[in-house]
Parts: sequence; C-alpha cells; structure tokens
Amino acid sequence: MGRLPDPSFAPDCTIHLDGTPIPARAGEPLTVALLAAGRPLLARSHKYHRPRGPFCLSGTCHGCLVRVDGQPDVRACRTPCRDGLTVQTQHAFPTAAHDLLGVIDLATPHGLDHHHMGTSFGPLDRAVVAISRRLAGLGRLPDGAPPAPPPVVPEACDALVVGAGPAGLSAAERLATGGRRVLLADGEPRAGGRLRCRYDLPDDLEQGWAGAQVIRLADAGCEVALATSVLGLWLDDGAVAALLWQPGGPRLRLVRPRAVVVCAGGMAVPPLLADGDRPGVLWGRGLAVAVAEHGLVPGRAAAVLGQGAEAEALSARLSGIGLEVERLAAARRALGRGRVTGLERLDGTRLECDTVAVVAPPTPATDLARHLGAPVRFDEAAGAFALAVDTDGATGVPGLWAAGEVTGAMGAQRAAEAGRRAGEAARG
Amino acid sequence: MAKTLICACEDVDLADVRRAFAAGHRDLESVKRYTGLGTGPCQGKSCVAAVTRELLRLGATPAEVLPFTARPPREPTALSALAALDPEALPIGHEGVPPEPPAPAGPSSAQVPPLPARADVVIVGGGIVGLSIAYELAVRGVTDVLVLERGYLNAGASGRNGGGVRAQWTTPAMIRLARRSLERCRTFAEDMGINVWFRRGGYLFLAPTPEHVGRIERNQQLHAREGLRTRILTPAQALEVVPELDPSTFLAASHNPDDGVVFPWPFLWGYATRAEALGVQVRTFTRVTGFRTAGAAITHVETDRGPVACGLVINAAGAWSKAVAALAGVATPNRPTRHEILVGEPLDPWLDPLVSLLGSGLYFSQSQRGELVGGMGDPAEPEGIVQGSTIRFLARFARAATRVVPRLAGVKVLRQWAGCYDVTPDNNPILGPAGFGNFFQVHGLVGHGFMMAPALAEVVADEIAGRARSELVAAFDLGRFSRGDAVREDFIIG
Repeated sequence: MGRLPDPSFAPDCTIHLDGTPIPARAGEPLTVALLAAGRPLLARSHKYHRPRGPFCLSGTCHGCLVRVDGQPDVRACRTPCRDGLTVQTQHAFPTAAHDLLGVIDLATPHGLDHHHMGTSFGPLDRAVVAISRRLAGLGRLPDGAPPAPPPVVPEACDALVVGAGPAGLSAAERLATGGRRVLLADGEPRAGGRLRCRYDLPDDLEQGWAGAQVIRLADAGCEVALATSVLGLWLDDGAVAALLWQPGGPRLRLVRPRAVVVCAGGMAVPPLLADGDRPGVLWGRGLAVAVAEHGLVPGRAAAVLGQGAEAEALSARLSGIGLEVERLAAARRALGRGRVTGLERLDGTRLECDTVAVVAPPTPATDLARHLGAPVRFDEAAGAFALAVDTDGATGVPGLWAAGEVTGAMGAQRAAEAGRRAGEAARG
Repeated sequence: MAKTLICACEDVDLADVRRAFAAGHRDLESVKRYTGLGTGPCQGKSCVAAVTRELLRLGATPAEVLPFTARPPREPTALSALAALDPEALPIGHEGVPPEPPAPAGPSSAQVPPLPARADVVIVGGGIVGLSIAYELAVRGVTDVLVLERGYLNAGASGRNGGGVRAQWTTPAMIRLARRSLERCRTFAEDMGINVWFRRGGYLFLAPTPEHVGRIERNQQLHAREGLRTRILTPAQALEVVPELDPSTFLAASHNPDDGVVFPWPFLWGYATRAEALGVQVRTFTRVTGFRTAGAAITHVETDRGPVACGLVINAAGAWSKAVAALAGVATPNRPTRHEILVGEPLDPWLDPLVSLLGSGLYFSQSQRGELVGGMGDPAEPEGIVQGSTIRFLARFARAATRVVPRLAGVKVLRQWAGCYDVTPDNNPILGPAGFGNFFQVHGLVGHGFMMAPALAEVVADEIAGRARSELVAAFDLGRFSRGDAVREDFIIG
C-alpha cells in the first residue's frame, strides 16, 4: 500500500495519528493519507466496539469519524490534510487497534437487545443504566470552540443547483446560459460526480467534460461552489431557503433561490455481509476517485464485490496499479478481527485480501428534496426509493426540480440529458 | 457468530430488524425507532436502502417502507456555525409548510384484524396519555378498551419530546402528580418489561434575573414543604453540577437531584404491549372521522375503517384533541403550538442534569446514548398543528445554548424536528366529561404530558373505574374557563 510514484502525489507534509507521524500531501483528504499509510482502523463502534474505518470516502457514511485538532466526530474524508494536523482515534480503550471493550462484541454473538436488558430487578436495572451511560458516546466534548464563521448575510439567486455531477453541471449550464443567476454547490472538493472515477464506461461522458463544463459555467457567470455542503432546504414562511456550509472558510450561507434543481446523485451502499463493516472494506466509487486524483494504492490484494461494467472497470483499475484482484458477485462473510484480511466465498473457500471494493447501484440521495416534501417512488434498478419526477424533472413541489441518479439508476449521458431538461424547465 | 450490520453508525444488526418486524413494527418509521437504525451520525444515508429491501423481503408493502422523514441538517453541523445566523432575519410562519411530513401508510387490511363492533371504552389517541390510561383501566378490570391511533405509535408529541421528568412544579397538586410519575419511571423497566433508561441526573433551572431568582426561591420553599430536595445554588455552586456553564449568564439556580430524563419511545411500546396482554385492543393507522350521538351521549365513534359502538369515549388526542372535540361539536380553548427540538452528536458523558434557562424557553440535556437533546420555545410561533422545522430555531438555539455553555460551540447537530404542545389558557390540563356525559377529556398538557401521564393515568383510571373521585378531575374540568376560576401554572419550559 502507499501511493503511485508520481511526483504530484508525493507527500509534502506530516500529520499525527495518536502521536504517530504520518506523511501526507497537503490538501488531499485525510482518509487518503491514512489509507496510504495502512491505517484504516480509526475508532470502535458505538455499541459493540467493533473496529471502524472509512468506507464511502465520499462524505456519506460517517465511518471515518476521528478527533481532529480537539474537535470530536470529524469526517476524515472531508478533512484536507495540512502540516501538523492532529488526529486522534475515538471510542476505544485503550486504543482502536487493541480495544479491551471489544469483548462486548465477542460476548454478544446474538446482539444486545437494549429494550429488554436491565428489566429484571430494580437495583440491577439501575446498574445497567449507569454502566451503559459510562460506555455511551463516540467522541469527547470539544476542547474549545472551532473557528467561528462570520455573521451570515442572506443571499438571493435565481437557481440553486445541488450536485456537480453530469446532471448538475448540465442543469446549471442551461440556467446560466439562459441568463439566470445560478449557484452550483457540491460537497466534494472537485466537480464531476461519478465521472471522477474515470471509469470510461460506454455511457460515460468523455474525459475532461466536467472540467470544461466548469469553465463554461464560470464564463456564463455561474458561481461553482465546491467543498460546499447544502445542509437542507426549508420553507421560510412560504419561500424556499437553503443553508450552505463551506468548512474551508469556514462560512455559513443562507441562500433564498427562486428555483432549486437537486442533482445530488447516489450515496454509497455498505455491503449487507457478515462482518462487512470491517475497516478496509471500501465503496468502489470513492476508492476509484482516491486512486485517480490522489494516486492512492489501498493495499496489496483486493476483492471487488459486485458485478457489471463498473465492477469490471474498477477491477481493471486496481490491477493496473499493481494489486492482485479477484472479482466476485457475492460473498458469505468478511474475515479479519481488525482490518479485513479476506472474504469467505459462497462455496466456503477463502480469498485473502486487504481491501474489499464494493460496487452496487448507489442509493438515490433523496433527503434534500424530501425536506420540502418531494414524493418518491421505488426504483427497481437502484433497489431503493428515488425522487418521482416528470420528463422535465419537475417534482410536483413548486420551484423544485431533480435530475440524474437521484431520480433512479441511469448512466452519465442520460443523467446529463435529464439535467439539461430540468435546467431548461427551471428557467421559469 | 458474525454480525451482519445494517446500520454501522448505531450497530444495528440485520437480526435486530427481523426482531422488530416480528414484534409488529412493519413501517420504516417504527422500525427506525425500535431498532435505532438511522439515528446516528449519518442519519440513515447508509442503511435506508438495505433496510427497505429487507422489510419488503419480510412481507412489508412499498407504502409501509417509504423512507423515514428526512430531517435537516443533511450533515452534522456545529452550533458555532448555526450561531452565525441572525434569528431576527428569519421569519416564522406556516405559509406553505405541510402541516406534517407525509406519514407511511398503514398495513393493508388483510394484515390487521378488523375493528370490533363495540367497545366499553374507546380511547382516541395512542400517545402516552391514551395508552397509559388503557393500561391502567385494564389493570383495574376494565378490559374492553379500544385505542385508536391515526399513525404509528410515537408519531405524535409522545415520540417527539425531550424525555425530561421533573418534580419541580409550582403547585402542590402538580408536584405530587410529578413525584408519582418519577416513581413510576424508576420502576418502569421492572414493572413493564421494557427499559426506558430512566436516569436521575436532576434538573437545573438557571435564573437570569432577580425576578426569576425570586420565583425559584418561592418555589424552593414550597418544594421543601412537599419533601423535595430542591436547593438554591449560587453560580459557583452550579458549576459543581455542570462545570461547563458560563456563570455570568445567571444569578442563581434551582437544582433538584431527583428529577431525571428517560428515553420516551419505549414507554408507548411498554404500555401498549402490557395493555394488549390484558385484553385491550390497540389499532394504529386508524383515524377518527366523527361521532354519532343520541341525546346526551355519544353512541358510535366513526373511523376511516368503520364505526365502533361505544360506552365511554376518552379524548386523549394531544395536539389534535381540539379537532377531535370539535367532531362532537364540543368547543375547547386549546391552542396546539409547534415546539422545535434537535439532537446533537453522541459524546462521552459530560452533562448530568437537564438544564433550563428560565425566561428564554431554552433547555438541553444529554441522552443515555450521549447525544445533546435540546429545544427552545419561540414566543413568535403562531398557533397551529405544524410539525415542520425552521432555520430560525436552529439559529435561536445555537446562540442561546452556546452562551450558557460556550464549549457547546463545537458540538454538531445531527437532526431537528418538531412536535406540538397542546396549550391551554392557564397551562393546566382539561380533565373530565365535556359536552356529553360519556365524552371524557384528558388533554391540554402543555408540553408536560409525557412526564405527567404515568401518574395522571392512575388518577383518571380510578375515576373512570369508579374507584375514587379525584380532586384533580374536579379542579381541571372544562367549565373552569367559563366560570373564571382557572389558576395559571407558570413553570412551563420549552
């Protein structure tokens, strides 16, 4: 494990994990530095003290929570590295790697029924409450206040486009070239959405499309706000209001857009697999981005769990950077007591690996649109609920459109086309 | 044996989901509450698809497994960030806000038993008030009882409150009632077979002005007469209870170490399960649409699943009680009013009591799981049943809470939601028959229904079962408002 030997990926600073120096590249996500150093085990889980580490590498799963510079429960995947960053593992006694409380997991093979434990005898019940309180929590109270953002000055715009993937970049272009004041926001530090995986699938857009689109947008006067999370959509006494969080500032923004186009894409899907929550099990798309943009080499041997064109492309990519790769459609369980050490195949044989990459249809990120009451429908291809829209991307909620994978599984070209239609419609 | 985790945030196993389904929790809102999945830092983003597929596989219908309500913020957000908002620049109002988020549909009729043709007692409302009364009636031998709930259990204020239970009230009657509730909470796990995680961390009321100091001192004298251990603390003494407080934000504090917090949801499951074991029937996803009357009596309760003939009807519908009473042509002075609340990231234990800043509506505590749980009433909130959330609340709470405890600045909010207080003109409940001899009211509990219900249910059940006449029911009848002898309770928070 480590990094590809390209000078643009070479470490140029040092961070500290529980006091141990770890080389890092300034600006890369903290998860990349930790995975490149072979340190995926960052915490113990809430209840059973199972080993925890990054999974999605894309801001969704919260498996990578660590204490950063005295602030608890910080997502490592959304924390850029800089020299001297202090990182501490969480919720373990004494350390995440050797946690004595891991015995809770071993002692409860059938789980802990928190409704019916401590219901037998008063004094014993009260002891259960007291002990479980001592064990609760993930991180400790912050050491001090984080840097405070400046006072918020409300802003207005014609359209807020959420998500800078194929659909969002296309929707924003139609709005901006139509003369609308557009704000395009994406929580990730770079534009492109799934195109950042650089899979070159048959229905992908050509390499460089996202970058060129960002330049076109800027020329048309659209603000492209990357590393900017949309925290929610509210009805502010009849008018839609959005809160945007820019941790790099830090800055909180209150935006009142006339139209919102949600192109938030899909979210990582953890494998429903025995012990599938082991560190070293990673979301395929997030891993592909870390390889493409930061030269991450996650390990020596990888199992790619999943099927279809994305699984094939990821397998080829991981082989290409020197990993032994086996692709399998399903497995019985993950192996290893800390970091994953292998998979048990369905036939009972074992595959040794230090990385498992999961490929599955992502879950449509419907939550933002549902803040305003947008309806959903079950999408068979995604195996999950997706936003219900008409052919123009209208959700039925006044002023709210949606396009791309948030409306159901589809390829990048179709998502871009849907984004263009929604952008046209949202011009009003 | 290896665990197959479906929610890695909260360590919820696939087996937990199957147990919940087997226990009758079919809709995703109920499965979320029963298992805890989706309540951790990622707020269900990682588990929602897998649990949906599992429930469908187990036999739930697509309408039942609609995703649980999406609650802002979409990412954990530090209070210091939200405190950068100016609450006064954020209007409050109900225009355009859906009255409540879309709720999951109930199970299809093939999966639930039909309504009985008749019940001696029909209770409208399956919140803690209705279910605790059903249970206490059954214990007293009145078992032909039907509870009608329009949504899932915990859909209303009983599932939306902060879980505080305190004896620090301002009248002997309320103090005694609350003490009895605290006693019921203490033994609930043993008595009812389900853990409500009752923890006696105390309540700490902060008095920011001389007027508030005068009030807590007067209350303390009453509390002493009633046998409570309430003490008046100087700011320095209050720091011994909560070292993180900013002592410049209050002049004195009132502390009762015997008050506490609970985990609200299991109360409802506990009461419902034990009541059903005694013969009570509880029907969720059943909406009351009207009443048939004959002379001075209600003869039938009409629902969207058909009519039920009744002996006695109990209106225990909380914020909806005014609308339910109106279905029978009975006018009540209740004003349902939204109150907002939020939960923060789980942290190691740092806060023992529930803290409330008098005069501001601010309160917060730390849950058994380590989360900050806090709310703040808003004097500008208009009347109406609305359960949507506002940015204004986030801003108001963030500013007020970080002023009282500056270290909260870095604590991140995981989700916000709202429920409705059922407010009466004198902040006291409405009890007893109204309009019809067999139309018994138990509502108007002004945000403390949850903490009062366990004791109040015993009083009401005694009255209905004919075991004892209650002074409370006599004192808090609907007629007091027209007679003009209502006495106002002033120690309402949130």
